[in-house]
Amino acid sequence: MSILDPKYETPPPEALQQLQLERLQALLVRLKRNVRRYRELVGDVRVESLADLARLPVTQPEDLANSFPYGMFALPLREVIRLHSAIGPEGRQLITGHTQNDIKHWGRLVARQLVAAGVTANDVIQINLGNGSSSSFSGYVLGAQTIEASVIAEDPFHIDYQLAMLQNYRPTVLITTPTNAREIATLLDQRRIDPQSLHLRSVLLSRPVTEAEQDQLQAGLFAKVQGNFGISEVLDPGFCVQCAEGHFHVNEDQFLVEVQGEELLVTTLAREATPLLRYATRIACALQRGKCRCGRTTATLVPGRRLDQRVLVNEMPLYQQQLREVLAHTAAAGHTAEFEIADRRVVISLSVSERIFDDRVRTLQSVQLEVESEFLARLGIEAVVRLVSPDRTRAAGVG
Amino acid sequence: MLLQVRNLRCGYGSLEIVKGVSLHVSPGEIVTLIGANGAGKTSLLRAIAGLLPPWQGEIRIHGRSVVGWPPWKNVSNAMVLVPEGRQLFADMTVWENLLLGGYHNPDRRMGIEEVFEQFPRLKERSRQLAGTLSGGEQQMLALGRALVARPQFILLDEPSLGLAPLLVHEVFAVIRQLRDQGVTVFLIEQNAVAALGIADRAYVMETGEIILEGEAGDLSRNPEVRRAYLGKSYKEIWE
Repeated sequence: MSILDPKYETPPPEALQQLQLERLQALLVRLKRNVRRYRELVGDVRVESLADLARLPVTQPEDLANSFPYGMFALPLREVIRLHSAIGPEGRQLITGHTQNDIKHWGRLVARQLVAAGVTANDVIQINLGNGSSSSFSGYVLGAQTIEASVIAEDPFHIDYQLAMLQNYRPTVLITTPTNAREIATLLDQRRIDPQSLHLRSVLLSRPVTEAEQDQLQAGLFAKVQGNFGISEVLDPGFCVQCAEGHFHVNEDQFLVEVQGEELLVTTLAREATPLLRYATRIACALQRGKCRCGRTTATLVPGRRLDQRVLVNEMPLYQQQLREVLAHTAAAGHTAEFEIADRRVVISLSVSERIFDDRVRTLQSVQLEVESEFLARLGIEAVVRLVSPDRTRAAGVG
Repeated sequence: MLLQVRNLRCGYGSLEIVKGVSLHVSPGEIVTLIGANGAGKTSLLRAIAGLLPPWQGEIRIHGRSVVGWPPWKNVSNAMVLVPEGRQLFADMTVWENLLLGGYHNPDRRMGIEEVFEQFPRLKERSRQLAGTLSGGEQQMLALGRALVARPQFILLDEPSLGLAPLLVHEVFAVIRQLRDQGVTVFLIEQNAVAALGIADRAYVMETGEIILEGEAGDLSRNPEVRRAYLGKSYKEIWE
């Protein structure tokens, strides 16, 4: 049983409720004093028990997007030492700020996950999370620093280089996306490299996968595989800890979680720079309470589907609005297009109008190329353009 | 939890001073409550000690509600208060003051011997009138008087008040020793630097409400605490 902070990971229920109530009451005082939006929303509501939480207003992702960039900050920018962005509703940008204490807590929370996965100061960690994940990268580095493990601060741009690094640097822990982990396992298999010749003991995935996938990766990489569940607007990683039993335990000393309808709502209890009250995560979740066989007493959650239109393209969270915006920067602007996510890329069925139609293949190819390179340049994702007759997309009702 | 306070409201007349405070102290901890003058710290402490009846809320010691208990019963429950301004009997000797501290304790003479071991200077002055001691010695006597009762839990109200910095250091060293001996301490202080320096956890109180809770080290780094209590000017921090 590897538990870094027993006081906060295995508290008796009454002690946890007391701590959460104290922190929630103090949070409300600070929110009313320091954030105008919350002052207006919360008013004079008094919270005397955790059950009173339901009487408080819900923070919608749109509230954060509308107050972009710093409208929901609870401290002056001078006190904020780190800014991270996240993708909000319809691809709008959101900003999360961190003070010195926020950063210290973040490191500690991620360290809980590392310790749960058996990572120690003797381990060497390779982190490869791909495009657009600098925030998660920072979180893992902070966690590794907290437990004094070594981090390879190098980005392997190509899978061949990554494999070479795994062979040469001999990292014992790999923190990566499920897609990348699968790619490595496949490459090892194709090149007939024995996974045991690598030194991996533990693989931490950036998001949850099914049990079958986990087993498959464990066999393919010959290492223990654990997942992560985070919410980029709140904290990712560091929001919860996946234990050896496979359960996602919420770090409840820092986050108050509830499920409304089927949606997970999160209140940050100790965040200084950008505290959130009942943030609607747009993720369906089931919450369970009771002592886990791992020894932790904190709530566990089972993440479900997303409740908005966000999709993952090659592990990158995107909204359809963002895809349309990229298209608007090309010669295909204003054309009807249908998007499909397939095999780590976006397949765009572009309806060919008279404006871009040309009987020369080269002209049509240049439109295709322009769109594809624009997607790579702006979003860092691969796109494939298929030109279709206007009737087809009209029939599909997409516009 | 040794002390558990939930939604405590109390005040004087119709004036609400403590406005729904929740806090806790676990065994073996030094927990400090810092705040400016008039924040409601002493009223909160008086309510915990049974000297001020709460209007609403719960106060539990070892899980048992002590709301409505007279102060002497709290002392029998191994909780003692060292009040603000020492409140010694100035015309009585050091020995007599200590004897009163162990009034309910049949072993009080032994308790006094233990206090003398901890504060040799009090032994030297045992026949001296309390009113003739220096400020620092008086604070030691106030602490010693509380310890004769052999408390598990000690409530300290502004022990640094009116003391020179060197004496503050000495008094706080004693408080740390108490924790090392297994006594749990709830310390109310305006001297945030000194209090956060020895505490495990801390609460910040402003106008009757707790605005922050956390580990003492974290609160020392908190911008709002630095602005209000650690001498960093508003201009310097908030621009």
